[in-house]
Amino acid sequence: MLEVRDVSFSYPDGHAALRGVNITFPKEHILGILGKSGSGKTTLLKCIGRFLMPQSGRIELEGRDIRELPRRELRRSIGIVFQQLYLFPHLTVLENMTLAPRKVMKKDAHEAEREARQTLEKLGIGELADKYPAQISGGQAQRTAIARSLLLKPDYLLLDEPTAALDVDTTREFGQWLLDLKAETTFVIVTHDILFASKIASSGALLTGGEVTHTGPMREILETAGYVEEEE
Amino acid sequence: MYLRKNRKARNAFDSAARYAVAGMCVFLLAVCVRPLYADESSARKKFTVALTGKYPPFSFYSAGGELTGFDVDVARAVAGRLDRELELVTTEWDGILAGLLVGKYDAIIGSMAVTPQRAEKVNFSEPYYVSGAQLFIHEKNRRTIKGIKDLYGRKVGVGIGETYEHYLRNKHPEIKTLAYKSTVDIFQDMRNGRIAGFVTDRLVGLYQIKKGGMPFQPAGPLLYKERMAIPVVKENPALLVKINRALKNMKKSGELDEFHEKWFGTGTGPQESRDAAMTTKTIVIKLLAGFGKTLQAAFLSIIIGFILAVPSGIVLNSRRTVAYYFVRSVNDFIRGTPLLIQLFFVYFGAPQIGLVLSPMQAAVFTLSINTSAYMAEVIRSGLMAVDPGQTLAGRSLGLTGLQIFRHIVWPQAFRISLPPLMNSVVALMKDTALIAVISVSEVIREAQSIISVTYEPLKYYFIVAMMFFVFTFPLMKLAGRLERKIKEKGFLNA
Repeated sequence: MLEVRDVSFSYPDGHAALRGVNITFPKEHILGILGKSGSGKTTLLKCIGRFLMPQSGRIELEGRDIRELPRRELRRSIGIVFQQLYLFPHLTVLENMTLAPRKVMKKDAHEAEREARQTLEKLGIGELADKYPAQISGGQAQRTAIARSLLLKPDYLLLDEPTAALDVDTTREFGQWLLDLKAETTFVIVTHDILFASKIASSGALLTGGEVTHTGPMREILETAGYVEEEE
Repeated sequence: MYLRKNRKARNAFDSAARYAVAGMCVFLLAVCVRPLYADESSARKKFTVALTGKYPPFSFYSAGGELTGFDVDVARAVAGRLDRELELVTTEWDGILAGLLVGKYDAIIGSMAVTPQRAEKVNFSEPYYVSGAQLFIHEKNRRTIKGIKDLYGRKVGVGIGETYEHYLRNKHPEIKTLAYKSTVDIFQDMRNGRIAGFVTDRLVGLYQIKKGGMPFQPAGPLLYKERMAIPVVKENPALLVKINRALKNMKKSGELDEFHEKWFGTGTGPQESRDAAMTTKTIVIKLLAGFGKTLQAAFLSIIIGFILAVPSGIVLNSRRTVAYYFVRSVNDFIRGTPLLIQLFFVYFGAPQIGLVLSPMQAAVFTLSINTSAYMAEVIRSGLMAVDPGQTLAGRSLGLTGLQIFRHIVWPQAFRISLPPLMNSVVALMKDTALIAVISVSEVIREAQSIISVTYEPLKYYFIVAMMFFVFTFPLMKLAGRLERKIKEKGFLNA
């Protein structure tokens, strides 16, 4: 269980991005954190990833404050795939995948490579192994970045705007692909794309102006919020 | 992002870079390391004497590439009478006294005239020959220019740092005095019409004009007489006494007169050796040896400079700590002052704090520090060009700060930095031309000594330029290739 309790965060310029946010993330679901641009989604994601420290409130993983978790334990429990993916351009897809298992989990090169190839096959992108990030498409890059994080077998994998760079067809394919993977981890989709989220997430939370305005099953959020996606 | 490139692209990129760097390192280490320490063994106590090697007939290189001339004969005879092994050091005239003062050599036997200013700094021996300052003009002006006063308002050339420069500026301020690095340059400008005359030692002038077949001739009487003597440091009066005794005995035995006859007499005997131009073989060997020294200095400096630049670049890209301000100000100072002065500072300054560096060591030290300042800026901007998100991704995968730097940030920053680093290397190669001033006999100095007997400056400077170009051109091409590869791989976050 991942819990966000009363979390508030203000940037140094005084802008209050999160105001008393409370969300509970049960395991074994695909969850959505929804909201327009500037609603505080990405700030929340960065707080959960311990890249930003909230001024008040706490974030707990299985009852333990994440601030007290050792680096390795935190990163193997909560994975993050950023909107820009940040694949390592100087490494092949395979090398991108094996870096953390080798350096963080101290696996030997052969084992890490075998596992990475297995994962790539399972995710249907085995043919990308020896390519460089500059040589693959946006959709392939998105899957590669998720595969890279999945290798650490996190309990939660947070995806920041995963559909931002995908066209309509690719988005549909990608959604199905995620649904097939939901046994692997608990996906938390942070997005403004409520249509996409409504198709794959079972429940979620809606952020408005740094506050949680709705939580519950996706269907309810859609109905009660009257949320309409804006063109960006 | 959607570039279609097969594996070969990557291989070509990496192997090109790796082979270039590895190949150069191996080659250079092979050429370089050995001679750096070659000249440090000594058996009998040495008598180290400085001269320029570019001042025929007093000191110059013979057809066989050996140092020879009147001053060289005198130095050899004095060393013999001191019962010490002679070691000759060739150095630039404008730094020759400074080198004596910091103990780089025991004495200068290089036709140095006694002047009150010099005598304040050093002790002069008894003079070993007397000559004088003579104005020379172009033959075609012999009817209009009868003496120095006829040149008032016009330009006259002198060797830089020679007594004639001082004399003209003080006694004939109406003349526009131009100082030149060498006689060859003066001859060139005489023929180009940039100067109307030049003042030099009468003996030297006559010898060089005849040797070079130049259409110049003396005008007017000697401007003044000069007594040429051997300077030693004031702290060593014992050596001065011994040198004076040696000179006195050489005069008494007629040895000095023999040398005079040999180099300035009318007889032909020993003259043929110096009149013969350098053989092609000698010239090639001298230029290659010089270029070997150039490469040695350049590549040792590149390797050491790069090793120093990496930590500096990292510090420059980090938070504003004491280390940052230290590196920042040192780098700014180095980049904001002339390399020439840095060379002098290290070469002449280091002995004052008890650190005696050979010319090559001083050159490599200075060039390393100098190039590291520029390389550090390149590395700093390479590090800055790596998307901060790369670090974020590394952290989200659980890597430590050091692992992120080692495996993610540095490999990208290094590739981004490679093309501008190549440019630093090219710049450094060319900067080696300056190390001649601290007596490193690199290729330009060798070329000058060849020119001092062949009188063909354009030809030999062109050859030297081509030697540099053969090395720098592939580096520049490689830099361009690497830059394209990096853009294709999308390293620089656009």
